[in-house]
Amino acid sequence: MPFRALDKLRPASDRAAGYLLVAPALVTLGALSLYPLFYTTKLAFQAGGEWSLGNFTRLASDHFFHAALLHTLVYGAVALTLEFLLGLALALLLDREIRSRSLFRAILLIPMMLPPVVVGVVWRLMFNPDFGPINGTLRSIGVATDGLTWTASPALAMVSVICVDVWQWTPFVMLVLLAGLQAIPREPYEAAMIDGASAWQTFLHVTLPLLKPAILIVLLLRSMDLLRVFDQVRILTAGGPGFATEMISLYIYRVAFEVNFDFGYAAAMAFVLLIMTNVISLGYIRLLEREESL
Amino acid sequence: MTARAAKYALLILAVLVTVAPVYWMITISLKAEVDQFSSPPKWFAFAPTLAHYHDALFVRSFGRYLMTSAVAAVASTVCAMVAGTLAGYALARLRWPGRLDRRLSLWILSTRMFPPILSAIPFFVMMSDLGLRNSVLSLVVVYTGMNLPFVVWMMRGFFREIPREVEEAAMVDGDTRLGALWRVLLPMARPGLAATAIFCLIISWNEFLFALALTQTDASMTLPVGIAGRVTQYETKWGVMSAAGVIAMLPILIFALAVQRHLVRGLSLGAVKG
Repeated sequence: MPFRALDKLRPASDRAAGYLLVAPALVTLGALSLYPLFYTTKLAFQAGGEWSLGNFTRLASDHFFHAALLHTLVYGAVALTLEFLLGLALALLLDREIRSRSLFRAILLIPMMLPPVVVGVVWRLMFNPDFGPINGTLRSIGVATDGLTWTASPALAMVSVICVDVWQWTPFVMLVLLAGLQAIPREPYEAAMIDGASAWQTFLHVTLPLLKPAILIVLLLRSMDLLRVFDQVRILTAGGPGFATEMISLYIYRVAFEVNFDFGYAAAMAFVLLIMTNVISLGYIRLLEREESL
Repeated sequence: MTARAAKYALLILAVLVTVAPVYWMITISLKAEVDQFSSPPKWFAFAPTLAHYHDALFVRSFGRYLMTSAVAAVASTVCAMVAGTLAGYALARLRWPGRLDRRLSLWILSTRMFPPILSAIPFFVMMSDLGLRNSVLSLVVVYTGMNLPFVVWMMRGFFREIPREVEEAAMVDGDTRLGALWRVLLPMARPGLAATAIFCLIISWNEFLFALALTQTDASMTLPVGIAGRVTQYETKWGVMSAAGVIAMLPILIFALAVQRHLVRGLSLGAVKG
C-alpha cells in the first residue's frame, strides 16, 4: 500500500492531501467566479480602454435603471411579505396534528421545484384574458372581465407577476419554517401552559423567538433570490407592458445582449446589484457563523 | 370539531391553488384546439389527444432541446459531484492550519451569492473567445461551476454526520485515508450523495439565464430556452407549448419526490436540517 507510509506522517500528509483534494474545486471556482468578478469589475470601471467612473455616473441619470430598481424593490418587498405570512400560516397549520401531513407537504412543494420557465407558461395560460380559466371562471359567475387583461394591463401586470412569485415560493418558506417548528422541543410549551399563557401569548413569546433562526435564514435566502428575479417575469411580461414590470436583471440583460450590447454599462449595473446582494448575504454569513454547526 | 374542519378546509384550499394551474397546463397539452378555447373553461370533460406531444417532439425541435438539456444536466452534475465530494470531504475531515478550512468553506459559499446576470456577461465573452458559444459544452462548464459550491457544502455536512471512529477503525484495519473514504465513508454517505446529485440535476435542468445568453442556435439550446423562444412569438401554439412544458416538468417532479426528505436542507445550503 503506497499511501500507508504517507498516512503515518499525519499532520503534514493531511495538509498535502487536503490541498490536493480541494484543488479541483478551487481551480474551477476560481475560473468560473473569481475571473468573472474581476472581468465585470474591469468592464464596469473602464470606458474606451481607460479607467473611469463614466458608467456609474451614467447610472445616476438613467431613468430606466431607476425604474427597474424601484420595480425590483417593490416586487421584492411585497412578495417577501406575502410569502412570509402565508408560509408561516401554512407551516403552523401543518405543524399541528394532521393526517397525511407528508402527502400535503409533497403536493404543496410542487411549484417551487418546477422550472421557472414552465411556471411562466403555466401562468400565461391562467392569465390569458380570452380563454384562460381565471377570466373564464369569473365570466361564468357573472363578473365582467373586459378590463382584466392581467399581465397585459399596466395596472395589473405587477400584481400578476408578484402573485406568480408568491405561488411559486410560499412553499419554500413553509418548508423551512415547518422544519424549524418541528425542531422546537416540547418543554417551553409545557412551561407556558402551566403558567396559563394564552395561545397567542405562547406564539409570541415561545414559538417566534425559537423560530427566529429559521425565519432569518428563509428571509435572507428569499431576499437574495427576489433581487435577482429574471426567469418567470421574462416569460410572463418580458418587463412590459411598456416598462411596468422591468426588473434590474431584465434591464441588464436587455442592455447587454439585446439592444445596445453595452457590456460596460451592463457590468456597472450588475455591480450595483452585486453590492445590494452582498449586503444581504453578509448578514446571512454572520448568521451562519453564529450557528454552532459551522 | 369545527376548528378541525377549518384546518383541513384551509389545507385543501392551499392544495387546490397549488395544483389547479399545473393541472390546467396538462389539460391544455391534451386538448384539441376547440376544447382549448371553449368558454366556460373545460376542466374535465374533453377528448384527450396526444397530437401536441407528437408535434412538439417530432415535428418541432423540442426533442432535440430535451437531449441538450439532459446532456448539460447530467455531465455538469457528474463533474460537480466528483470535484465537490473530494473538497467536501477534505473540508469536513482533514486538519487545516489556522482554520483555513472554515475560510475556504465560506469563500466557496460566497461565490454562490453572485447574481447570475453578473456572471452572464463574462461567461458570454469567455465562451466566445474559446469558440464554445452555442455548444452544450459551454453549459456543462458553467453549470459545473454553478453546482460546485452547493455540492461542497452539502457533502461537507453529510460527512460531518458520520462519526470519526468509523473511518479511524477502517484505517486501523489497514486502509489508507483515501481507501477509507472510498470503501467506508462514501457507501455510508450514499443517501446524501444521491440527494445532492439529484439537486444538481434539478438546478441545471431548470436553469434559464445562462442558457439564454450562451445558446441561441436550434442545435444548442436547452428546453427552457426553446420554450421561452416560442412562448413570446406573436402567434403561440398553446397545445405544443403546454406539451413542451409538461415534458420539461415531468423529470423534475419525479426527482423532487425522490429528494423530498432532504429538500429543506438542500434549498438552504445545509443551513437548516430538515
